[in-house]
Amino acid sequence: MIERDLLVFAIWAVLGFGGLALLLEGFSRDSYWISLAGIAAIVAGFVAHIVVNGVFDCTFRPGEAALGIGTFGVMALAFIVGWLSGGMSQADYLAGLTLFAVLAFGFLAYLSTRYGLRGAFSHFHHKHADGGDPTS
Amino acid sequence: MTGVAYSVWLPLFTLFYVAVMLYWVRVAARQVSGDDGFFSAGHSLAPWISALVTAGASLSGWFVLGGSRQIAEYGFQMPAVLVAGVTLALPGVVFFKRLWYVAERLRVSSQADIFRVYYKSPFLVVVSTIVAVLFAVGFSGLQLRALSQAVVLLTDGAVTQLTASVIFGFVLFAGAGIGGMRAISYFGVIQTVIAFAAIVVLAGFALIWSGGFGALNAGLLALSNTPDAMALFTVNGVIHFTSGLGRGGDPATASTALANLSMALAFMGFQASPMVLKVVLSTRSPNAFAAGQTWVVAGFCGALIAFAIALIGAAGLVDPGLALEGILIRLQTQSPWFAAWIFIGVAAGVQLLAGLSLFVAGEGLVRHVYKPYFNARLSKHGSVTLTRIAIAVLAVLVMVLQNLAPVTPSALAALALPMAFQLWTPLLGVTWLGWITRPAAITGVGFGIAGVILTEPLGYEVLSFFGLELPWGRWPWTIHSALWGMAANVAAVLIISAITNRKALGPEAIEIRKLLSGVLSTGPDVRTLRSTAWSVVLAWFFLAVGPGLIFGNYAFVQSGEDTTTWLVGMPSLWAWSLGAWVCGVGLVWFLGYKMEMASPSHVAIPPYEPPLRLKQDQSDLERERLRALIITGAAGFVLAVLVAFSFGG
Repeated sequence: MIERDLLVFAIWAVLGFGGLALLLEGFSRDSYWISLAGIAAIVAGFVAHIVVNGVFDCTFRPGEAALGIGTFGVMALAFIVGWLSGGMSQADYLAGLTLFAVLAFGFLAYLSTRYGLRGAFSHFHHKHADGGDPTS
Repeated sequence: MTGVAYSVWLPLFTLFYVAVMLYWVRVAARQVSGDDGFFSAGHSLAPWISALVTAGASLSGWFVLGGSRQIAEYGFQMPAVLVAGVTLALPGVVFFKRLWYVAERLRVSSQADIFRVYYKSPFLVVVSTIVAVLFAVGFSGLQLRALSQAVVLLTDGAVTQLTASVIFGFVLFAGAGIGGMRAISYFGVIQTVIAFAAIVVLAGFALIWSGGFGALNAGLLALSNTPDAMALFTVNGVIHFTSGLGRGGDPATASTALANLSMALAFMGFQASPMVLKVVLSTRSPNAFAAGQTWVVAGFCGALIAFAIALIGAAGLVDPGLALEGILIRLQTQSPWFAAWIFIGVAAGVQLLAGLSLFVAGEGLVRHVYKPYFNARLSKHGSVTLTRIAIAVLAVLVMVLQNLAPVTPSALAALALPMAFQLWTPLLGVTWLGWITRPAAITGVGFGIAGVILTEPLGYEVLSFFGLELPWGRWPWTIHSALWGMAANVAAVLIISAITNRKALGPEAIEIRKLLSGVLSTGPDVRTLRSTAWSVVLAWFFLAVGPGLIFGNYAFVQSGEDTTTWLVGMPSLWAWSLGAWVCGVGLVWFLGYKMEMASPSHVAIPPYEPPLRLKQDQSDLERERLRALIITGAAGFVLAVLVAFSFGG
């Protein structure tokens, strides 16, 4: 698993930070296309991560999932704050929406292709041992 | 963009970099059981990790910091820099596979170990250690200094050079000293990929700000038509019989074909150095050497140098504001996140080599010099602890020298590559040329080192201090010290091998000869290709880095009465070098795979069982050695002071 972790770190060190830099560049220049390149880099990072998981026959580690969801939350919060404060241009707004749409769609697509639609739902919805009946 | 925004990204990225490094140090430290595996990662490194780390260390930060500056200041006069990907890869093709099998048979893990066992020569062990120290203190120290200066630039003086160098020193010690070889290799993978990415992005910015490839070359063409700058685009003859650079009115730079050839040979010293061999001998399988050398080092690194670093240098040549420092400052103003990311990438490349060389130097001083010759009873745990202390001391020394005596790292750095190149002859003796005898290898390296030192500033400055003025300066006849040293080295090896007993081999050396002539002997197909291989190697060297470069001056140029046209839209020597790089990748592939010099082979090598010998108490001998060392040192010092007072200035 050391080799798998090394590959994951290497992927995100290049595609994650590269994507982040392009996103910030796009926001600072109000250029949707530069932001889109950043989003593409981040998506490529996810794809490469999933390929590595496939090669090593494993899934995302709990820490990775927590970091990913946490980062998503922070970015969403920053986007909402930026939107409410009115400091976003049309290009920034579009780029943010594209990013979140792509990430959300990609997340659902990943879960459904890996576990199936029913399995993906079951992944989150854990039945109680008592069948959900608190009186039994 | 506010000033705070400018300054926040670099510390943020640096913190992240350090956090990731500490994570991998922790992972590596947890894998070390007891003290096993600290020095050689338990010989368990995956081949792909070894290939990437070797490539990252080979490229290092030098090509970004030094290579791009070379082109920005001196143009395309030194095409040897542009095809360095190939010359860096060739030694690996020649040595890695055979040395790995030798080490596997003898169960050793470093170049010094191989010299100690095969040649039984303390001199070669010490030279191997000195080369590692030169890389750690000189070669890496110089690059770390450049990085510290870049930090000062990027933070507009908010972080001083001293502070930056202290931070770099801490990071180096934490990486190499705590986690050992595993930490260096694991984190080396990440350092390598971010260094590669940073170079690509940096070249992208250089290209965009130059107005694109066409505009950049239009600028170069305009520059080449000015009388003063015309020489920047040609190799200036085959050889100039000057008395040395910077001496007697001679220019301080050399741009002849022989300067190129000898510089290419100096590059070939790197993969014969103890640092790279440390990575190679810590690998669990030799089956990726051919792929690593062909596609990663010669192919990918070669492409980075021939395209990306050449682009950065060319942009700086047309517009000095777009030299490396200029690009970083402009990025820091316009896109500080990119500036931080690129800087961390370049720093990672430098730190990879610096960490590796500090580690190998520390190991060499403790495990290869101190323990076997002065304290054989030192335990494994004691060796690890002492090595950590040695690494810390060397890291502090690097920091002190770069801040207080910047000329010293520069003088030492100049010796690192050419001295490593002198180790080719003993390595060839172990791997390919069994007729090189022990006295020949030792004397050859001694003569080689003398040749190097006497044609570099350190040598003639030291002699000048003692009152002996050499009639030549740096690189006489525009020949790099690596070639001067090798000429003396080869001459001594040939003469002494001819007059000494070639059968006088120790039991381990006999075992190695049996191994190499047995399971690793080449088949009939390879033997029939030998003459072809020699021909293509010589042809490549002649045309790509040798006198054939003169053809490259005019190969892709059409000269009119008033105007010059570049037939492929770029400087002729750049195009020539790109062609040489492509052919060079083919050459490395041919040697690696077709000639089976680095090709995968699945042979199980049982460990060598040395004949049982009674262990003798070495304490008296060790005390005697220590006394002799102290007396010799003191006598040498007194003699040096006397000579300096009597004749020096």
